[in-house]
Amino acid sequence: MNPRAIQRAIVRMMYDPAFVAAVHGTRPVPGLGEPERVLLRQVDRRAFTTDRFRRARAVQAIVDEYPASAAAIGLPAVEVFLSSREFHLVLAGRGAMALAFGTWLSDQAAGVGRVEAAMALLRRPEPLPAAPGRLRCASHLAPLTVPAGTLAWYEATLAWLGPVPLKTLAGAPPRPGLPRRSPVRKREANEHLLIERRPDGGMSLGTASEGLVRLLRHAVTARPRDAVIAEAITRGATPQEAPALLDGLLAEGLLENT
Amino acid sequence: MTDFCSRVDRLPVLGLGVSTEYGASLAAGALDPSQLRREHPRYAGFLEVGVELSKGLDDAARAWAAGGAATTYHFLDINLDEPEDLDPEWLAGVHAVCEQLRPAWLCGDAGLWHFGRRDRGHMLLLPPVLIAESVAPMAEGIAALRAATGLEVLPENPPGTAFVGDLHLLEFFARVAEAADTGLLLDCAHLAMYQRLTGRAPLDGLDHLPWERVIELHVAGGSEREQDGFAWVEDEHGPALLPDTWAIAQAALRRASNLRAVVVECERNPIPAVLPLFARVAAELPPHMRAVSPDRSRQP
Repeated sequence: MNPRAIQRAIVRMMYDPAFVAAVHGTRPVPGLGEPERVLLRQVDRRAFTTDRFRRARAVQAIVDEYPASAAAIGLPAVEVFLSSREFHLVLAGRGAMALAFGTWLSDQAAGVGRVEAAMALLRRPEPLPAAPGRLRCASHLAPLTVPAGTLAWYEATLAWLGPVPLKTLAGAPPRPGLPRRSPVRKREANEHLLIERRPDGGMSLGTASEGLVRLLRHAVTARPRDAVIAEAITRGATPQEAPALLDGLLAEGLLENT
Repeated sequence: MTDFCSRVDRLPVLGLGVSTEYGASLAAGALDPSQLRREHPRYAGFLEVGVELSKGLDDAARAWAAGGAATTYHFLDINLDEPEDLDPEWLAGVHAVCEQLRPAWLCGDAGLWHFGRRDRGHMLLLPPVLIAESVAPMAEGIAALRAATGLEVLPENPPGTAFVGDLHLLEFFARVAEAADTGLLLDCAHLAMYQRLTGRAPLDGLDHLPWERVIELHVAGGSEREQDGFAWVEDEHGPALLPDTWAIAQAALRRASNLRAVVVECERNPIPAVLPLFARVAAELPPHMRAVSPDRSRQP
């Protein structure tokens, strides 16, 4: 028997009542063999749900990092995440719930969800693979292109949520007016944002030019200098000014040598 | 590595002590460990400091350590059976805290402290899966942490409401202790929870334990709870012991021939409320543990 598989199943049973029912049901449960399932069934199923606030604490941890997204979709929808494949993958490996929530959220909270998912990622910097001789967007930055109006809706929603977002959200319906991508993808229907993780761990969020954001997005993957210069030219720089432009971005810390 | 039975002689006798964790002493009416030591030194021979590295040490723990009194380091954030949990960053944090506390040893619940990676909202505490296949990974983690820190690592039986597996809890920990060649921390209240949940008598299975390896005991009050007809005990570290816990503690105090430390876990209660519990435990201590340990009681 695999003790880790059993332990992960126990955790999942504590967060997901549907999984408790599945373990006690008749259909096969992926990842669990019959001997493991027999062990789990030997324990009174009520033993897995004695902590009535376990799911609420998980929701609180998510809302702490995704307050505006939670406002956009409502707390009941946030709780659905705890039964999702993305959450199960966190339990099955070494994942982070906040990052998995961003993946699960996908476009449900449109640009606001992408802003908060990018912030969650910036809070958890991973060592980047060495790529000698290449340039990439600085690891404390996240360049984003989102539907126009996203920043204003985000800031207004944070103000509405107040100091205790979970309290404001309890019982509240999804907040209306979330800017979404236009079905006709006009360029002016977008806005371009740059998120920065400050040295104190806080986040700064502001608009930036389309050219800069697209150039930095191109460089999120480490690329040869020539490739980044070519992208700068595509975004409007002349072949003569592109190298100096890159040097400037390097000097300002927006790009970094790998 | 010498075997534990020869290493045990180098472990100091800490006597009766009290526990804390980050922010515990800030709770309304909670005891201040240093005040307990000043006013009742027999009850505060050492401080067991619960450490979650992402939180660090609070002022009460720092003040105690600055005063030079003895400590133990109780981890709150390591899944011992996951080798990837012993990462360099975590180990560096452990070393830094050990520099401050100079603990006599490391100890802590040998269970699941977090799901996924260590992260916000991931922390919990579940007992290990009590099957033979769980023993080796747990033992390897204990040995690895001992090697990395140079300190003994005493696994503790965790609390829980759902104990899964076919081994008796004490048989499981006996196997872990043997495989890791380590000492043990027996939490009497946690064991009482297990016995009750599995329909056993309080002293059932005590013969499984290699008692010469039991170095530390925990004693704490708990509360009986019931929900949807399911009864369990909440590990609330209150001042009132359940009779089952006391029966286990008395038996353990008689059997643990190499006992070095007993912790009364009551960190969020006022001193007057816990004095009777300390007195009750102190009266049962074996003679070699009744003296207050000297500051930084480390034997050469």
